[in-house]
Amino acid sequence: MSEPTPNPAPDSDPKPAPAATAPAPAAPAPVKPISRGDFLWAGWGMLAAFFAASAAAGARFMFPNVIYEPSQKFNAGPAASYDVGVSTKWLNEQRVWIVRTPSGFYAMWARCTHLGCTPNWWDDQNRFKCPCHGSNFTLGGDVIAGPAPMPLWRTKVELAATGDLIVDKAILENKPGKREHAPYFANYASA
Amino acid sequence: MPTLDLEKIKKEIIDSQLWRSVFRGGVWKDTPRDRAGHIIGNVWLHLHPVKVRPRALEWLYTWGMGGISFALYLILTLTGVALMFYYRPTIGLAYRDIKDLEFAVTLGMFLRNAHRWAAQAMVVAVIAHMVRVFLTGAYKKPREFNWGIGVLLLTLTLFLSFTGYLLPWDQLAIWAVTVGTNMAGATPVLGNEGPLGSLMGMRINNDVRFTLLGGTMVGENTLLRFYVMHCVAVPLVVGILLILHFWRIRKDSFSAAPYVANEEKVDVWPHLVKREYIAAAATVIFIMIWSILQDAPLEAIANPNVTTNPSKAPWYFVGLQELLVYFDPWIAGVVMPGLIVVGLIAIPYIDTNPKGVGYYAWKERPFANTMFMLGVVMWFALIYIGYALRGPNYAWYWPWESWFLNKPAPPPTWSVFGPKGVGAYSMLIGIPLLGAVGAAWMLLPKLIQKELDGKKLMGGFLGLLALFAAVGMAMGRMNATQAGFLLFLVGASFYYGFVLPQRHIRTLDWPRYLVTMVLVTSTMSILLKMCASLAFDIKYVLTIPALSMNF
Amino acid sequence: MSYRKAFIASNALMLAAFVWAFAKDFNAEWKPYQKQYYQMAADEMEKQAAAEKDEKKAAELKAEARKMRRTPLEIKQIIANDLGRFDRCVTCHVGMDEYTNTTLKNSFTEHPYKAHPKVDTALIKAHPFSKFGCTSCHSGQGLATQVDAAHGWVKHWEKPMLKGATIQGSCVKCHDNFETLKGAEIAAEGKKLFNKHGCQGCHAINGVGGVVSVELGDIADKPFERIAGYNFKKIRIDGKELPNEHHNNHWNLQNWIRAHLVNDPAAVTPNDPFAHYNAEPIPPSGMPDFREELSAEGAEAITTYLSGLTKEEIIPYRYHVTAAKAREPQLTGAANGKRVYEKYGCQGCHGLDAKQGRRRFNAAGEGQKEYDEKL
Repeated sequence: MSEPTPNPAPDSDPKPAPAATAPAPAAPAPVKPISRGDFLWAGWGMLAAFFAASAAAGARFMFPNVIYEPSQKFNAGPAASYDVGVSTKWLNEQRVWIVRTPSGFYAMWARCTHLGCTPNWWDDQNRFKCPCHGSNFTLGGDVIAGPAPMPLWRTKVELAATGDLIVDKAILENKPGKREHAPYFANYASA
Repeated sequence: MPTLDLEKIKKEIIDSQLWRSVFRGGVWKDTPRDRAGHIIGNVWLHLHPVKVRPRALEWLYTWGMGGISFALYLILTLTGVALMFYYRPTIGLAYRDIKDLEFAVTLGMFLRNAHRWAAQAMVVAVIAHMVRVFLTGAYKKPREFNWGIGVLLLTLTLFLSFTGYLLPWDQLAIWAVTVGTNMAGATPVLGNEGPLGSLMGMRINNDVRFTLLGGTMVGENTLLRFYVMHCVAVPLVVGILLILHFWRIRKDSFSAAPYVANEEKVDVWPHLVKREYIAAAATVIFIMIWSILQDAPLEAIANPNVTTNPSKAPWYFVGLQELLVYFDPWIAGVVMPGLIVVGLIAIPYIDTNPKGVGYYAWKERPFANTMFMLGVVMWFALIYIGYALRGPNYAWYWPWESWFLNKPAPPPTWSVFGPKGVGAYSMLIGIPLLGAVGAAWMLLPKLIQKELDGKKLMGGFLGLLALFAAVGMAMGRMNATQAGFLLFLVGASFYYGFVLPQRHIRTLDWPRYLVTMVLVTSTMSILLKMCASLAFDIKYVLTIPALSMNF
Repeated sequence: MSYRKAFIASNALMLAAFVWAFAKDFNAEWKPYQKQYYQMAADEMEKQAAAEKDEKKAAELKAEARKMRRTPLEIKQIIANDLGRFDRCVTCHVGMDEYTNTTLKNSFTEHPYKAHPKVDTALIKAHPFSKFGCTSCHSGQGLATQVDAAHGWVKHWEKPMLKGATIQGSCVKCHDNFETLKGAEIAAEGKKLFNKHGCQGCHAINGVGGVVSVELGDIADKPFERIAGYNFKKIRIDGKELPNEHHNNHWNLQNWIRAHLVNDPAAVTPNDPFAHYNAEPIPPSGMPDFREELSAEGAEAITTYLSGLTKEEIIPYRYHVTAAKAREPQLTGAANGKRVYEKYGCQGCHGLDAKQGRRRFNAAGEGQKEYDEKL
């Protein structure tokens, strides 16, 4: 194929043209003309770019921007209304447990990490037990028995200026070390 | 009285401008030229060659399964189009429309039955076609590419069946699809619950499962998406691939080997065409009678708040669901199916044995046939276990046991290299140890240059296992069932995973050898993990919590 | 067999299979019923014509009868859009189709030919079929055109046809004032007994009542998956086991409610701590045994009342009939204590007039263990 041309192409002349309508100066003699091969590469490149862009747009198209589902975010009411321990107040409606510790709040998605059943909180045994395949979890969500492969997911939880807890079930974390900090933990000094 | 000269009338009709404009060729004289012209001059028939080898006409050679699969595809297209006239894919109407088909549409129930049974028959027929092609070595050079197309068509057949499963919008549909699509959420990197998923910022509302469902749960968008995929998008792709598949059969020629050297080929018209017709007609009759006698199931209307117990995937995916008992979802639902598809496509490129093309040759290709059939048998065995032996809470119920029988709670499980496992830093021991065992398993069969005596090897290994089991039983740490599982499953994986590769493929070049061994060892890992889980309550052999990876 | 023979045979078989399929579809279950109705109605008219003295009228009747006999068979349906009902019941129950039987009356006594009873009453006049369909009151599967399926006596149809007095439960769906309605006496009695025996002490209805056990405001919508078949196997109604595993004629919600009142509830819902039969772990029922206090009629009345408590059906506002809240009596002293005792349902556990002590106290405790072993 042709060597790269050292001279700029006429229409990429860095100097501003004196007038828009002025004809471009004829190319200097030693310039190698753009060969058919160069042009073809550009053509193929643009076609490939077109396909790639279409494919990317097609992929993006498949992600709906609005869905007719309940919002993943919800207001769990005033933080002050929770006692220390596990609250099942939002279990039926939002599938979330609100857990208050002496230093603050975290919320856990009530979905077993094995195959998505809803575990039950057993206050006397201080653990969550899944009815489907018998997974058991600690108060913090760690697996202590059964087939579940990983800890329960904690959701993002924030303390709004009004004192309400805002839970976002779309943003999840379950790794020790990460899940104990914001945004998966809302500090709340016990009054 | 003038006599009616039928021959003359026939000739006049055939020679008329109208007839000749529609049908090519004149009066049929059954000459070789006529027969060839029949194939060449007809757009539907010209995909055939004019002549084929006699073996290609043999029912016992072809099983007719490729043609039957296509006949079923046509039945499905026709019945499917008919059903579309009465079906609206919204959650308020879908179930009611199915009820209407059942109760108020002329032949509606029959068409729905035919569509459902033909779909399930097609899954079986396509798998049978693949088995036939494998056993006759018909995927070997120059047909490697067409085998790959075939594997894609099998995958798409399963996907078509799966997308159709949701459309009646009953409890069976929604929970089978929920179980099936939850596996997509466990895709590594692209799924919100898969390994590395959260590193990539995957969440419940932006991962691959979300795209598939069009939402975070099976709902209105999912129904519409599955409808469009089921009725338009996937059949279109299948149609394109089918054209490619047929065209390549024609170009690569039929695989059937000659019976004798320089044998005479036979005319496709009428010899092959009449066989195809009989196969297609038998398929139609079979589906019709099945549809008359057996109604397609329809349960209560879908209710996302009420999970059925047990929830099972469609039967052809129940094997994968059964794997979920032994492996984490990302392995059972994503890696294993991926390995199956990629491994199948890779087969023609790693099987260098030139023998056994176009005829059944068990003795000439013992390794390939054994491993492939082992895979097929395992697939159906897992389906049987998942479909017939799993009851409420997915507990194990023998066929003679009632589902009302009280099953004791499953015993606690443990991990070998993990919490409550071996040693305090069990991960630090586990990774190098398992790595070493895996590497030795992968490499040893080839590194041992000369062929070992299979019988002695097997005897020695089983003896070791039996000794181990005997010690375990004497110490009271193992019971007879556990010993049985150990001998059978570990023994089988040693035979298929070590003895056979050592005997047959140690002369293969390194890249092909390694790819083969990856496929062999991952198949054996299923047997080993089943043994560990069923007999010894081992949950994981190794867990790496930091990466959400467990094995 | 030669291919020529196989060709002929397979084509013959295809044709035969098609004829079989079509015949099966053509001989639909509803057709003989509809046909029989037209015959019977025509016979009736001809009888009238024979008795008629006015010849012109007799000829008219005869012509009408001939027309009736020749009426083409069709699937008839009542579309009650407001209530989301598409009821094909009139396909067989032709006497209740106001276009075929304009007076909605006939002299037949057998189902499905018999006309709807009491069509002249204010009750039916207020609920015209064209606006309410059939299943709004009677329940069942309106879309179906086969006997078992239409009455809901099949697997996977959760709302079988309401039988006998239980149909009064349907009044409860829209009429908040059902206690004062003529024709809903049994449902009204049910509500009265519900409160008299203190059920509300443990079971709230629409948020009113105790939270000890499940809320019953939507008990009629309880999905079948939540009632284990295992429990039905333990139910005895009239001292007999329920037949037919999944047949909704017997394994249905009404029997589920009834079973709690005519059995020892601990037998209906025994301990299931590992969720072997239920979707979630279920402790043994702590509900007291009401068989001593409650007659069979009483159990029936409560069942009737509860089968109308639904939230699943979206009933347009204009179909609702509201009721004024009853004023609470102003009492003092012991009389007021009795009123409070009964209002909050204390008698549910402690018995009428507090004569039962503490019934089924701590059901998961020692006594239950013995009970489980006895089973």
